[in-house]
Amino acid sequence: MRRRAFLATLAASLAPRLTWADIGAPAFLAAGKAGEAYVLHGLSAAGTSLFRVALPGRGHAAAAHPVRAEAVAFARRPGTFALVIDCATGTTRHRLTPPDGMQFNGHGAFSADGTLLMTSEVVAETSEGRIGLWNTQGYTRLTDWPSHGIGPHEIRRLPDGRLAVANGGIRTDPVDRTKLNIPDMAPNLTLLAEDGALLDQIDLPDLRQNSIRHLALSGSAIAFAMQWEGDPAEPVPQLGLWTPGTAPLLCAPPEAEAFTMQGYAGSIAATRDRVLITSPKGGALMLFDAKGRHIATHHRADLCGAASTEGTFTVTDGSGAVWTADDTGLTPLARADTRWDNHLVALG
Amino acid sequence: MRVALLALLLATPALADTAAVVTDHARPGFAAFAEAAQSLADLDTCDPATLRPAFHAAYDAWMAVDHLRLGPAEEDGRGLAVLFWPDPKGAGWKAQRALLAAPPTAEAMAQQSVAARGLPALERLLYPAETLPTDPCPLIRATADDLAATASRLAADWGPFGALMLGAGAPDNPRFLKPDEATQALFTQLATGLEALADRRIGRPLASLDKPRPDLAEAHASGRSIRNIALSLAALKQLALTLNPDSPRSLAAFDQALALAQGLDPDIDRIADPQAWLKLEILQQAVRQTRDTVLAELGPALGVELGFNAQDGD
Repeated sequence: MRRRAFLATLAASLAPRLTWADIGAPAFLAAGKAGEAYVLHGLSAAGTSLFRVALPGRGHAAAAHPVRAEAVAFARRPGTFALVIDCATGTTRHRLTPPDGMQFNGHGAFSADGTLLMTSEVVAETSEGRIGLWNTQGYTRLTDWPSHGIGPHEIRRLPDGRLAVANGGIRTDPVDRTKLNIPDMAPNLTLLAEDGALLDQIDLPDLRQNSIRHLALSGSAIAFAMQWEGDPAEPVPQLGLWTPGTAPLLCAPPEAEAFTMQGYAGSIAATRDRVLITSPKGGALMLFDAKGRHIATHHRADLCGAASTEGTFTVTDGSGAVWTADDTGLTPLARADTRWDNHLVALG
Repeated sequence: MRVALLALLLATPALADTAAVVTDHARPGFAAFAEAAQSLADLDTCDPATLRPAFHAAYDAWMAVDHLRLGPAEEDGRGLAVLFWPDPKGAGWKAQRALLAAPPTAEAMAQQSVAARGLPALERLLYPAETLPTDPCPLIRATADDLAATASRLAADWGPFGALMLGAGAPDNPRFLKPDEATQALFTQLATGLEALADRRIGRPLASLDKPRPDLAEAHASGRSIRNIALSLAALKQLALTLNPDSPRSLAAFDQALALAQGLDPDIDRIADPQAWLKLEILQQAVRQTRDTVLAELGPALGVELGFNAQDGD
């Protein structure tokens, strides 16, 4: 009996892990809430669910392994765990816990070959940023790097292996998320080398209360989405474009739409010639061209998740709809009884 | 037959009330505002004393619909073009000073900065804080005509937009995919309207007990600040009771806040006195309490909640 169990375990560990292609080649991962249950779905390019797995609590974002049908689901900030989920079976393969005194901060990214997972983390007491490194063979902790800022949120790997880090600048209470340093917060956008060395960094001297939180890649530029913590009556941009080595370009909508986003961008996605930001608070999304010029605004309540695949934008909302967005408008793709949460993650 | 009809009515209690908001609250409200703005524009004078009563009538009419910021008011920034406030950096007056020197036509006015248009722009010309450098007559006319045109477009657009709300869930409805999405949209306007009243209309002049800022109040120059607070509260109460007539706790919360608003000195400058400041702060708390009550009572009754993501960002 013990021998049989041992053999079964051995067989399981030697069995080739399934790839995304093996389980229907989902285009996206999306966390959400169905009734009172928290779930992670794999969605097709048409927005329909290909699989769903249960989550123990509300998820924030997920990171998808480049090959294996494996997702890392991050809890909402401040996160004390992340789950490595086998999307073929719905089982939790590993539960990641940050080192003592550290917390996950919402997002993560895999290396191109899938051997490394990087996670945005903070020192709980100070919100000083770290990038955690994990070996994805057994999800063991390798080391961590400084993120060179306070409160890193989204991190995004560039095709050449460099890592962009949105250091949101906000120090938060380790327990209840209260923001502690709004008057003197100072976000930055940092570029790290593949070995974690600091390559470049920009900040926003005139807009220090505009927290840089989410990232997308637009050609050679890093598109960044911001959330305004200052006077809501001040019109400020929610989008910036940064080509490392140059000054960042802040992209404001026309004056008549200066308050449409309510100072808040929840997600960002980019194609080669368009950048899209969503605002659940404003019930709207905005499209800009690659030079940062406003192209269009479309209205829909509680839009938040956004991703691009093959030049097409897909967005999700809190009432369960999946949409495709282009310059002319929003077109419904699919509907579900799942309230889609903050982020839609494109695979591949 | 009667039983089947009754079952149908019981199954969709929220829909009839959503329809009532469109037909009895929003459309007549915007139509009345368009009429009041047109009456103001039709006055063949630039005499501030003659224009002021019509200005107040138009502002009163706007207060009945100010909270309906979805749909037509979102398009081309029309809501902002009627009421650009707060304006902490004085963008409106800066833009208007340039326009005084070279007044645009009413049509060209529509292309100007939203900060230089609408009710606050008219207020600055009818209640000038300083002696105006040139004759304001052409700019008054252009601003009033532009306001009337904007109001007329808002009222007209509530026709088709109201139809989208009434037809929520119909197969070809691109805006409201399910019947309760229109209800949820109105419920959200109610909650955000109460938040804006507490945080902005009351909160900005209230500032702090040490340093009240009555000068930052909406419509301070025309002495409407307290009046607007009471009108906003009354309009939000009407929206709540149209959405769900049977809401005793919300009704009581609104009535308590309205009684507090009616007990305020109509001159907002009095909040420099700590006693008066406290009275306004108590009203602010009552408005926040009203919001909480409305969310707790109307949400379950209508079967809707505030946005899943809008409520809880990251």
